Amino acid sequence: MPLVNNKVGDESTVSTGKSLTDAKALVESLIKVVACHRHLASCMGGCTDSLQLRDELRQTRERALTLAISICQRLTTTLRDKSLPQEQRQDSELLWVSFSSSLELLHIDMCKVFKMADIFTIAENTSLVLTGLQGGGTEVAARALSLQDLQQVESTEPPAGLEGQERSNLEQDISRMDHMIDDMESKVNVLRWMVEPQGTLFPVGSTDSMSMALLSVDEECPGPGTDVESAEPAPLCQRSHIFALILLSVVIMVAATLSVCIVLLT
Amino acid sequence: MTIQNTLRDHGQRHRPRMACLHKAESVVLEMQDPRSGVRSQPQRLVITTIPHAVTGEDIVSWLSERLLVDADEARSVGSMLAALGYIYPLQQHKRLLIRADASLYRFQTPYFWPTQQWPVEDTDYAIYLAKRNIRKKGILELHEQEQYNRLHKWMNHKWDFIVMQAKEQYRAAKERKKPDRVVFECQERAYWVVHRPPPGTVSAMDFGLERRADPNADQAPTPDFYERIMIFTQQSIMRPRVKSSVSLGALVKYCSTYQSHDPFLSRPLPSNPWHTDDASYWTLNAHNVETPTKQRVERWTFSFAELLSDPRGRDDFRMFLKKEFSGENLAFWESCEDLKWGTAATMKEKAEQIYKTFLARGAPRWINIDGKTMEITIKSLKHPHRYVLDAAQTHIYMLMKKDSYGRYLKSPVFKETQKKAVTPEEHKFTDSQLEQNARTRRPSLSPIVLRQLEAERRAKMAAAAPVDITQLCRFTTPVPHLAVYSGFLDSASSPSLPVPALSAGCPSPISLALDGSPPAPAPPPPAPPRSRVGVSLRRLLRRGCGPIGVFASLSPKCNNALATAGGAGGRVQPISGERQGQAPPKRFGNFFQMKVDIPPECRIYPIESEDEEEERAPPGGAGAKEIICPWESLSSQTGTS
Repeated sequence: MPLVNNKVGDESTVSTGKSLTDAKALVESLIKVVACHRHLASCMGGCTDSLQLRDELRQTRERALTLAISICQRLTTTLRDKSLPQEQRQDSELLWVSFSSSLELLHIDMCKVFKMADIFTIAENTSLVLTGLQGGGTEVAARALSLQDLQQVESTEPPAGLEGQERSNLEQDISRMDHMIDDMESKVNVLRWMVEPQGTLFPVGSTDSMSMALLSVDEECPGPGTDVESAEPAPLCQRSHIFALILLSVVIMVAATLSVCIVLLT
Repeated sequence: MTIQNTLRDHGQRHRPRMACLHKAESVVLEMQDPRSGVRSQPQRLVITTIPHAVTGEDIVSWLSERLLVDADEARSVGSMLAALGYIYPLQQHKRLLIRADASLYRFQTPYFWPTQQWPVEDTDYAIYLAKRNIRKKGILELHEQEQYNRLHKWMNHKWDFIVMQAKEQYRAAKERKKPDRVVFECQERAYWVVHRPPPGTVSAMDFGLERRADPNADQAPTPDFYERIMIFTQQSIMRPRVKSSVSLGALVKYCSTYQSHDPFLSRPLPSNPWHTDDASYWTLNAHNVETPTKQRVERWTFSFAELLSDPRGRDDFRMFLKKEFSGENLAFWESCEDLKWGTAATMKEKAEQIYKTFLARGAPRWINIDGKTMEITIKSLKHPHRYVLDAAQTHIYMLMKKDSYGRYLKSPVFKETQKKAVTPEEHKFTDSQLEQNARTRRPSLSPIVLRQLEAERRAKMAAAAPVDITQLCRFTTPVPHLAVYSGFLDSASSPSLPVPALSAGCPSPISLALDGSPPAPAPPPPAPPRSRVGVSLRRLLRRGCGPIGVFASLSPKCNNALATAGGAGGRVQPISGERQGQAPPKRFGNFFQMKVDIPPECRIYPIESEDEEEERAPPGGAGAKEIICPWESLSSQTGTS
């Protein structure tokens, strides 16, 4: 039996294809970590601010940075490769744009955290803003670090003087990110306005059920009651579907009874 | 980079009006103190309870105690904190003000505080809208939808990232507990209400232009930095100083004159539109209103600049000048302003137009400026730039101010306007009426429409521009003949130039007849000008430069005329009696001749209060010649002009 060689393409393209999918997965996880970092940063300075929160922030940030560095290396090598086929180049440019945007977001968040740490220091017991939060960010941090077990996020009691060290670490991280961004810009020239996104625009104000099915991620389960002024949604889609079905069945039944009556009477 | 004002700058020049943010932050931080801060209570929702809600009355009472102000002031301070985004209301989240009742508010988390270093990014807004789209399945408000579409267009390349980030943020939020999720959504929504306000609301974050550099940032003490400080201080020493008695006197005078006209210090009638949302003040003081208000008319008496800067005042003044037949001054001034402020592309044409209309010899609306200024102006018109007519404009402005303005204030025109001026009644709106007004607010006319109206008006005025009757020359011969202008020091006689007529202004024979009698001559020029006339003519002929030279080159007959004029230069003298006797019949003869020759075109020559005119019989009509501006002369100019 002759071996069926399914590999039509070149060895190198296959490997770049594989590295591209790897990079894609890494970018997605970076986006996830950036989102979690943002949530954690929004708790900072509030009444739930604590050393644990700061620690979670630090861990999230470090994870984000490691991800970023590896993505950076991969994508840079991919994009500097002149012999890349057009499709793959487009894909990698798309990834590049996503990557640099998430880096920008992360950079801003880190700067904000740095500034806020100046104003709100845990050790000195400055009055924290009563924001109405009750829980901490432990679950979010767990999600960021992709940890199954929440307990793993627990940190040991940090020694005093940690905040100063934290601050300098943060500063270093920020400057590292600055360098990385500069490097990126100088090594790879991606024309951002030439990049075509693949996703669909969320239909604004339309009731296209198909696209809504695509977009509706993790619907809120209709709770026992909705809050009056909170932004919690009442998912009307399911309810409207049920109503429509009930109406239809009622109409069919009425039609059936009418036809039966007609048959009986005539 | 500017020299720093070391005293208490508070970054005002970097982002003016935002120095309050630091102060607001410190107040808000004080409010958080568990012992001496604001009393908080839990907010009960259907299933959850969220702590740290504060009632409006608590906020107001705390502020009035702490800042030692009364309740109204405390309420407005609280509203300012809400408008800046430090406190957000839980009910009616779009109206950022504090009500001193039991309505609930909460403090915004420091991540969402407005601080100078963190610009509000459109990317974040796009992510937020995308998130709301996911949750609420496409239910965004109208302005949000518009913003969304706009952002999608401008950030198209990032859109994958935005969608993915929105989804991830949504999923991360789900990890949190329900009350925290609710709180976070409220916080984010409040943040975007502050920074992307719905249309029609006033945003407190509107701080105007942003400067590139923060003057309060630490500057390295380089030698350059010190040098700039030295230059600055040297210049301050060299500045001219005024005695304080003089300057204070001027200040006091200004304040006392303008106090009743200042909208902050006294009530504008009928009502201040910014307070009562009633635009009748603006409609009553519009540009082309028939009857101005008494206040406005009073303002015109303060100074000439006030009169000119108010368009209605300028119209009134124009009407007065029309009656006095000196409208060309104001017209010249206005066209100079037009030149100064117009676009660079039209400058050359405008300068030409102004020259032809006002400055050239024989121009239809010749203005009376002294010879030196005229010389300078004409010389510099060769290379026209924006401020080329500045000297002439200043001269005319001073002329109008010293002469016409005083007469205007005593004139019947002005007295008539003063009598007709109205004093509007003051509005007294109740609170409900004020609300009604706020609801029925309409935007004003778009500036594009206003500009078009203005252009139309100006075109209409230019089309209907009167030919100033005093400028009609007695002579309407087509031949350039000698005329002397009192403006020139050397009173050079030169052939005046036939000008193509203005569209509306044809000298009627009546006016010519009226001008039959020679105008009362200004004090006759002393003897030297006589010889100077001859000298200058000869000079001009020799050099062949200037407008005269041009015409000489254009028409042989003119040459002839010039030659004869040159020859007769010595004969030029103040009009003697027998000369004058000669003039009228000849004039009429010419007039009829002209009528036959060139009916539709009217030639208008400036009449001079001076005399010294000579007519030359038109040897068959030299034909209409355009006034050619000196910088366009095609013939060689052998000498400097």
